[in-house]
Amino acid sequence: MIREKLLSGKFTITAEISPPKGTDISGMMKEAGMIKDAVDAVCVTDNQRAIMRMSPVAACCALMREGFDTIMHLTCRDRNRLALQSELLGAASLGIKNIIVMSGDYPTKGDHPGAKPVYDLDSVQLLDMISRLNNGIDLSGNRLEGKTEFFAGAVSNTELTEVAIMKLEKKIKSGARFIITQAVFDPGKFYEFRDHVHDAGGEQIKIIAGIIPLRSRKTADFLNSNIAGVKVPDDMINRLTSSSDPGALGIEMAAEIIKELRGICDGVHIMPVGTHENTRKILEMAGL
Amino acid sequence: MIISRQKEFKDILKTVELRNIFIIGCGKCAAKQHLGGEPEVLEMKKKLARSGKNVVGSTVLSSACNIASWDDVLNQNPDIKKAEALLVMSCGGGVSIISSVAEKAVYPALDTESLGGVCRDTIVLEQCGMCGDCDIWLFGGLCPVGQCPKSMRNGPCGGAVEGKCEADERKCVWDEIHRKLKSLGRLELLKEIHNPKDHSKRGRRK
Repeated sequence: MIREKLLSGKFTITAEISPPKGTDISGMMKEAGMIKDAVDAVCVTDNQRAIMRMSPVAACCALMREGFDTIMHLTCRDRNRLALQSELLGAASLGIKNIIVMSGDYPTKGDHPGAKPVYDLDSVQLLDMISRLNNGIDLSGNRLEGKTEFFAGAVSNTELTEVAIMKLEKKIKSGARFIITQAVFDPGKFYEFRDHVHDAGGEQIKIIAGIIPLRSRKTADFLNSNIAGVKVPDDMINRLTSSSDPGALGIEMAAEIIKELRGICDGVHIMPVGTHENTRKILEMAGL
Repeated sequence: MIISRQKEFKDILKTVELRNIFIIGCGKCAAKQHLGGEPEVLEMKKKLARSGKNVVGSTVLSSACNIASWDDVLNQNPDIKKAEALLVMSCGGGVSIISSVAEKAVYPALDTESLGGVCRDTIVLEQCGMCGDCDIWLFGGLCPVGQCPKSMRNGPCGGAVEGKCEADERKCVWDEIHRKLKSLGRLELLKEIHNPKDHSKRGRRK
């Protein structure tokens, strides 16, 4: 299982899977099927980019039935403290063991721009609340009949301002046992981020580096101008521009980044723009 | 100051179906924002008349949200009696106070946005989140409940791009909180972990 593998110090591979927009899970299962046995766990998103989709609890259950280990995303955007806790108790009762928390993209970015933004808790407070549930008490101090046993993590950008580093430290203090990062394109810059994490919580805080395989110069430009915390370096963009087969080059570059990261962090998290059709190949080329 | 914005005139016309209208402006926040003072009330009067409404009169109260005696307002503005509808050019506070004392249909001309202010002739929006539990000094005097769209109290979310907020055009308030606390020599305040807000303190009525 992912938790044991990560904590044992073995290099761990996760991949992002989105629940369907609708009740038909066949597309999601097909997507997950492409990476079955190539990854240690799938990370199941929670209305990512504020676009309404099936609940990650339900999607995780469907994936677990097919033998996948899962990490469930949980954002602060859509639920107040009652809903977050009841969702977590429900998830625990259905066998979900790993949770990764985040603030959540603002509703106006998504397909229900008029939705009320909740943000009753922030990610630091949500991690602390999960620690309490793991200790058998709720946020108000009431005792639970049966406690949770979540392995909780947080997300982070890798190039951080001083105030963002302080927040990262608070996430670790509040119970984040692992960090999944935004996409990394310059592994050389990753050491500094790793040092921040280890300074805050020691080497037992596991770091999984995000990987977005590039498909073309267009993908790179899109990421640079639309995704916070992502910076595709100019030399990569130039290589893609002059390549006769940017798709193949993107796969190669992702594998190169993973190889470089192997000695620096505890795992990688593949989050393709689009499908996982190349994920297996990237991992093979990276020697995983 | 309560920050408001002008409703679209076509939307006002759509809501105010009655013909005989008395316009009430507000001499405080709405006048300062040029949304409900004398010139705006006169402009509204002209526009309504052009659209076939009968404006029976108008006034600018010193403060629409602070009515000592409605009888005094009626005595000073007897034309109100001829009106079927009152169009109030103030924030929601003023509209509600007038609705509570006037036995007439009352309509708003403005949309109320936030609690802000005016600084060096510039209107600043959303300064205070009205949480009912102020601890703004912990954030260098900048309220993250009011000024961060996600009301984050433990630091910035990951959504800002080069200091620009994910939600809209504003700058990330967390960069400013950091700058201010640094200049005050109080950066250690940012290390404090803040518990979730007690929302039962918000907007409680006596």
